[in-house]
Amino acid sequence: MASSTAALRELQRDLENKANDLSKLQKDVAKNHQVRKKYTIQLGENELVLKELDLLREDANVYKLIGPVLVKQDLAEARANVRKRIEYISAELKRLDATLQDLEDKQKSKQETVLKLQQRIQSFQAGKGKA
Amino acid sequence: MEEQMQKRGTVTSLASLFPPEETHKASERVQNAISERWEHLGQLKKFIADNANLINLVQTLPNELHHNIMVSFGKAAFFPGKLIHSNEFMVLLGEGYYAERTSKQTIEILKRRGKILDCQVESLKAEIQDLKAEASFFYATAAEAKDGLVQIVEDYVEETYAHDVSEPGMSETDSARSFKDEKSGIKVDDEEFKRIFSIMDELEKEEEAENATEDEEDEKNEDDSGPSIDRAQEVESSLVKDSNLLSVHKDESSDGKAPVLNKSTLTEKALELPRNKETVQAPAMSGKEAFTGSIVEHTQNLESSQMEQSSTRGSKPVSRFKLRRQ
Repeated sequence: MASSTAALRELQRDLENKANDLSKLQKDVAKNHQVRKKYTIQLGENELVLKELDLLREDANVYKLIGPVLVKQDLAEARANVRKRIEYISAELKRLDATLQDLEDKQKSKQETVLKLQQRIQSFQAGKGKA
Repeated sequence: MEEQMQKRGTVTSLASLFPPEETHKASERVQNAISERWEHLGQLKKFIADNANLINLVQTLPNELHHNIMVSFGKAAFFPGKLIHSNEFMVLLGEGYYAERTSKQTIEILKRRGKILDCQVESLKAEIQDLKAEASFFYATAAEAKDGLVQIVEDYVEETYAHDVSEPGMSETDSARSFKDEKSGIKVDDEEFKRIFSIMDELEKEEEAENATEDEEDEKNEDDSGPSIDRAQEVESSLVKDSNLLSVHKDESSDGKAPVLNKSTLTEKALELPRNKETVQAPAMSGKEAFTGSIVEHTQNLESSQMEQSSTRGSKPVSRFKLRRQ
């Protein structure tokens, strides 16, 4: 009887650890989601800017706000810059997606282990209840 | 995902009391998400209103050469000023980029932005709809869990555990098991398929071998008269009558001399060599219809193909099937 309770303790401690790991993973995933959201918003904004820049006529004056001053910029240059930025952000998004996938896979496997542990504890308790 | 985890956690501590609460929590969480979306929607609506106001303002500004306004001096004070160049705007495009635009151009930009905002609102509404469905689902499960709980209390504990806890997990394992079953079934099928395919392969090989010998013979017979002529022949068989009739008509129209005689020879002509027909058609060709040209071409083809056909058919009847295939 004593040994079984000790085993149960052990199992519960194990479960606690696993649950902690899982919650950590979940936090990571949430953080990743947030970053991803930010990037998607930026991507949207950049695409908007690019669309507007493409709609501008070649002789239009374009400025960029750098710190407190507006610096006049070449339209072609501005377009190139924005395009680069979009590329960069898309690449970043892809990278984030990959890491997110990885994290979610990990989370899933952790969840499964936790579930198994729980079931073992449950069966343990049930067995004791019967006895 | 989180809900499941927590559900399991509570189940370990105290068997069957918690699940309904947990489902309630889950539905609450979805509700929170919905309210978040609503907030976002409100924000977007405000943006849209702002945008409309701005469009209005930009539209009216160039009506005057200058406006008397109060210029803010920091946060502390205002002083009277004059707004000039009322048709020049510096529009923030985003990401720190500004462009010099006129009022009209500015309005265009703003309208485009308004459209994008509208799109966002639409998608947000759809999202809210989805979340609402999810929430109702959670509520339903919560209610069910509650009902289930009452029943289970009357039963013994083991089953309550099995019933309550394994609900989320069960579906996974069930699906996994069924998947395995499917797999094994597929395996059996695969074996059968393999056998069938091997038989088919053998048959195909035999056929190919046969075909190869046939091909050799056929090629000897056919020489350079390719499949095109074979096909042409097929078309011809249907066209022969037409062309004959047509030629007769032509004769009637162009010559007008002895249509009866031509008609009487019609059957003869059909049986005769096409070369004969060509001579008949020659006057018609010089006439108006352009269609006759194509018929002449066909008849020439027919001539060669008929000869070809007779040679091939005479030598090897087996290849007829192959001919048709080509």
